[in-house]
Amino acid sequence: MKKPMMALAAVAASALFLSGCAATDTTEEATTAATQSTTTSTETAASVSLLESVQAAGVVRCGTRDALPGFAVLNDSGEHVGFDSDFCKAIAAAVLGDATAVEMVDLETADRFTALQSGSIDVLVRNTTWTATRDGSEAATFLQPNFYDGQGMMVAANSGYSSVSQMKGAIICVSKGTTTEGNAALESSRLGLNWEVRSFDDTDLILEAFIAGQCDGWSSDVSQLTGFRSAYPEGAAALAILPEVFSKEPLAPAVLDGDTAWAQAVNWAILATIQAEEFGITSANVDQIASSTDDVSILRFLGQEIESSDGSAVLDPSLGLPTDFAYQVVKQVGNYGEIFARHLAPLGLERGVNALWTDGGILYAPPYR
Amino acid sequence: MIIWLKRNMFRSVGDSIISVAVAALSGWVIWQLLQFIFITGRWEIIQVNLKLLLVGRFPEELMWMLGASILALSFWIGAVASSSKRDLNNRTSLIKTGFGLLSRFGLIIALGAIIIALAGTLDAVLLGIGTVAAIALGRLVGLARRKIAVLAKIPWLVWQILLVALPLVMIIQTLLVSDLSEWGGFLINVYIAILSIALAFPLGVFLALGRRSSLPIVRLVCTSYIELVRGAPLFVLLLLAGVALEFFIPSEIAPGAIFRAVTVFTMFTAAYLAEIIRGGLQSISKGQTEAGKALGLSTVKIIFLITLPQALRNVIPAQIGQFISLFKDTTLAGAALSMLELLKIGEAITKQDDYLGQGLVYESLGFVALLFWVGSYVMSRESQRLERKLGVGIR
Amino acid sequence: MGSLSSTSSRVPLWRDVRVLRWAFQLLVLAGVFAFIFWLYNNYQVNISKSQIQTDLTFLDNPASFTIPGNDFDQSQPVRDALVQGFLNTLRVAFVGILLATLLGTLVGIARLSGNFLLRAVATAYVEVVRNLPLLLLLTFMNLAVVLQAFPRIEDAWLPLDLFVISNRGLALPWFEGSGYILLGVIVVALLAMWLTVKIRNAQADKNGKPAYGLRIGALIAVVIIASGWLLLGFNWTLPFVEGRGTVGGLRLDPSFFALLVALVVYTSSHIAEIVRGSILAVPKGQGEAADAIALSSGQKMRLIILPQAFRVAMPALGNQYLNLIKNSSLGATISYFELTQVAQITVGNGSPAVPAFTLTLLVYLAISLVTSLVVNYFNRKLALVER
Repeated sequence: MKKPMMALAAVAASALFLSGCAATDTTEEATTAATQSTTTSTETAASVSLLESVQAAGVVRCGTRDALPGFAVLNDSGEHVGFDSDFCKAIAAAVLGDATAVEMVDLETADRFTALQSGSIDVLVRNTTWTATRDGSEAATFLQPNFYDGQGMMVAANSGYSSVSQMKGAIICVSKGTTTEGNAALESSRLGLNWEVRSFDDTDLILEAFIAGQCDGWSSDVSQLTGFRSAYPEGAAALAILPEVFSKEPLAPAVLDGDTAWAQAVNWAILATIQAEEFGITSANVDQIASSTDDVSILRFLGQEIESSDGSAVLDPSLGLPTDFAYQVVKQVGNYGEIFARHLAPLGLERGVNALWTDGGILYAPPYR
Repeated sequence: MIIWLKRNMFRSVGDSIISVAVAALSGWVIWQLLQFIFITGRWEIIQVNLKLLLVGRFPEELMWMLGASILALSFWIGAVASSSKRDLNNRTSLIKTGFGLLSRFGLIIALGAIIIALAGTLDAVLLGIGTVAAIALGRLVGLARRKIAVLAKIPWLVWQILLVALPLVMIIQTLLVSDLSEWGGFLINVYIAILSIALAFPLGVFLALGRRSSLPIVRLVCTSYIELVRGAPLFVLLLLAGVALEFFIPSEIAPGAIFRAVTVFTMFTAAYLAEIIRGGLQSISKGQTEAGKALGLSTVKIIFLITLPQALRNVIPAQIGQFISLFKDTTLAGAALSMLELLKIGEAITKQDDYLGQGLVYESLGFVALLFWVGSYVMSRESQRLERKLGVGIR
Repeated sequence: MGSLSSTSSRVPLWRDVRVLRWAFQLLVLAGVFAFIFWLYNNYQVNISKSQIQTDLTFLDNPASFTIPGNDFDQSQPVRDALVQGFLNTLRVAFVGILLATLLGTLVGIARLSGNFLLRAVATAYVEVVRNLPLLLLLTFMNLAVVLQAFPRIEDAWLPLDLFVISNRGLALPWFEGSGYILLGVIVVALLAMWLTVKIRNAQADKNGKPAYGLRIGALIAVVIIASGWLLLGFNWTLPFVEGRGTVGGLRLDPSFFALLVALVVYTSSHIAEIVRGSILAVPKGQGEAADAIALSSGQKMRLIILPQAFRVAMPALGNQYLNLIKNSSLGATISYFELTQVAQITVGNGSPAVPAFTLTLLVYLAISLVTSLVVNYFNRKLALVER
């Protein structure tokens, strides 16, 4: 019985390999077929948006991680605490009115998009970079970036490196399946540095390897590196983050393609935090402002009633969210500045480009009307 | 003594050199190990994280249910152990039975003592004492059935069901009340192993019978399944299940990590069990089936009443070996599915804030290795004992 | 006697065994197809909801990552990356099988030695290693040995000034020159040795003098290799530390080293058990007959016991080799770029998960089937020819 099985397997394997070569002819057919099927499926899928099912289920499943200082760590009671975790809570506050109605699902870097694709999570808020490939082939829709970052390199302070261009033939450690992997390879070939890039399942392993001296450099988003540097056992002074920034890394929450209602709902939840900071509303003064202000745009934003000649009305832009979602977000979680100050400022990260457009940064929320 | 030394270690010059070299090397290794265990090792990391290692993030308030389940299981083990048809009048001395038990279960007792010592809480000590008491109680109950006529009248099957009811109810209750996703540590390794082998068993029997079937299509289907699964690495199957399982089931069911792990382990173990059982079936002489046919039994009856019981009995050691293999392979679920099982937690605790970068990986992995080693070693020794008792290969 | 005539006693269709057999088979087939169709349907529904590719076009996408240890460029397609991963798997499997067999056989024989200490140590080794999970051994090798015990590159160990050992890898002295040509020279030398043995044996059959075929053949092989080495301009390079790496020699990736040692230690404990069992399976009479004709214990092992033991052990050994090849997939957990690691990375970079991992599975399946074919071939050749 072995010979037929072997023949079968060999034929199958070779057929698959050969079909890869012949794929160029079939891709066009496949894409037209796919677009046809997607148009029909979006028509049927539109009737069951994730927004409705999440509101029915009463909990938002948020893909995250458990050990990135500043962004998402587990505290002693086993709860997720951090910048990204707060945005998960903001989404829950907006969609469900309760910031605690969120289920945090820890994911490895390589599993992020498959979890989104398979529906194990509703939204991915896991310091993930927005790229064209991820928009396309990973079938993800990226929303308002909550942190504009760049890729940097961290080395030991006593390594003698002061610039990336000095790291010829170095061993660089990255996480599997991230943009940093590709960027590091690109940078290496661009500058002719001949790096050996080792990729690990999760940052725990990189930390171990880095402490032991197996890696000359650790390349990742500067925010991540700052976080790990602050928690380094030998103290932050033992590490140095080199000045070069390789690439743009806009970190943004992501949802699955094809669900416009859900995407827009999540997007506006994020934008609410930015807009709130622009209005100067914080979690401490939101009640006071809501009851005492007569700025119509603020009242509209907080979902308060606006007196007009025909009576009072509340703005409902038909996003599918409760009309006071922005109020809930600010009250239960805070505005962007508060969230940033709560988690990222202690690490030593400056606002930089992540400030409001009125303060010289690039955070700009569309008007809520 | 000198003669024994001479014959076993110093037979020739070469032999003597080897003896001296090996003695020196192993002496040094044992000395280093003892130093590590008792003097230089910093076992605080294990003491602090003992609960995490053993049961993961099991809810604190439900730990008593776990303890109760362990006690109920010990009771059941004691009761079943004393049901063997041993001659009651054969009075071996207490010391002899004591030594016998010690040599059989000494390792488990030692491990239990180490864990209780590391835990250092009164609860742990009470649980330890309670377990021993429960086993003793179980033995008494088992003995009572033989001595008290009223109990002996209860049919054997009913008695067994009564005995197993208590631990089963306890365990099911624990499962229902606690959230399975919070289980972890050694508990989840054991849970997945037992669940997978229980589910894999009927599937394995069916596949083995199918592979030997005279119906060509059935044989083809079963053989293809077995050969495909046996040719695949378990790690890759787990990775595939981690990303792909949800595509194959209706989207209303959201598979958790444990569901994926148990599915893959069951399918994997069933293929290997099928091969083992097939070997057992092949070892039954044709005369048995022919006698069955002569008695006019249908094929199904022959298989289930004559061939299969003998075949399964013949390959019990191999099946236990497969279970041990499965038990050790549950560590792969941690690596592939990020499940918080014992090895994964062992690695994770070395990265806690208090212990990061201090080289405590030896202590941590050492403890994990101890748990796995004792479990596997005791099981394989018991399987050898069972093999001898059943007279496999001799009778 | 009862009437045995077939007076219109046609068995009704629903009791006819032949019909029932085929009906049952068709039922099973229908059931299997229905199950597969249900799975396929679920797959299609779920995939179309998420709009991911399901074909193999991802193989042409650029890889966007590099593989340490060779010149793989990150713009090469995913297909090439998978091939590199496959070659790395073969590399660790090949060396692993060789070393594991060697170590396992030695330990297995040691377990039967007359020397008590040797026996005790070998038994302890087998009993300890066999009962530990492989992933635990691998994690230990990686975290405890390579990352903890091995020194940083600045303080690398330099045993005998020949090796460089650090947590960035192991550097061995290696030859400089084409590996393939050297392989060719070795093959020629081995052929010459084999020819010498045959010729000397034929001569010895004729004139009765001792053949010494193996000794002369070995001498000739050594001469051929040495002259080839010198004439073709090979020379040794010794590794030494330069900056943060090593120069010269052969550098073994630390993950390769950790994976190799873990696999070899684990598999050798199983092989030791198999070897021990197979030696015990050789009938006692063989050993006693060897003693009766005054063979030394070395000759007894080499000429009588081991060849027969090998025949018994072959299927089980083949099984262990298969296990080693499949276990090499664990290299993905320590960043050794074998097939599974490459597949994981491409999936993380955007390749669709199901086709990528299924392809990986099929490759492993193909390797398994080829290996078991080879083992079966040797099995059949070694099998006792019985009437």
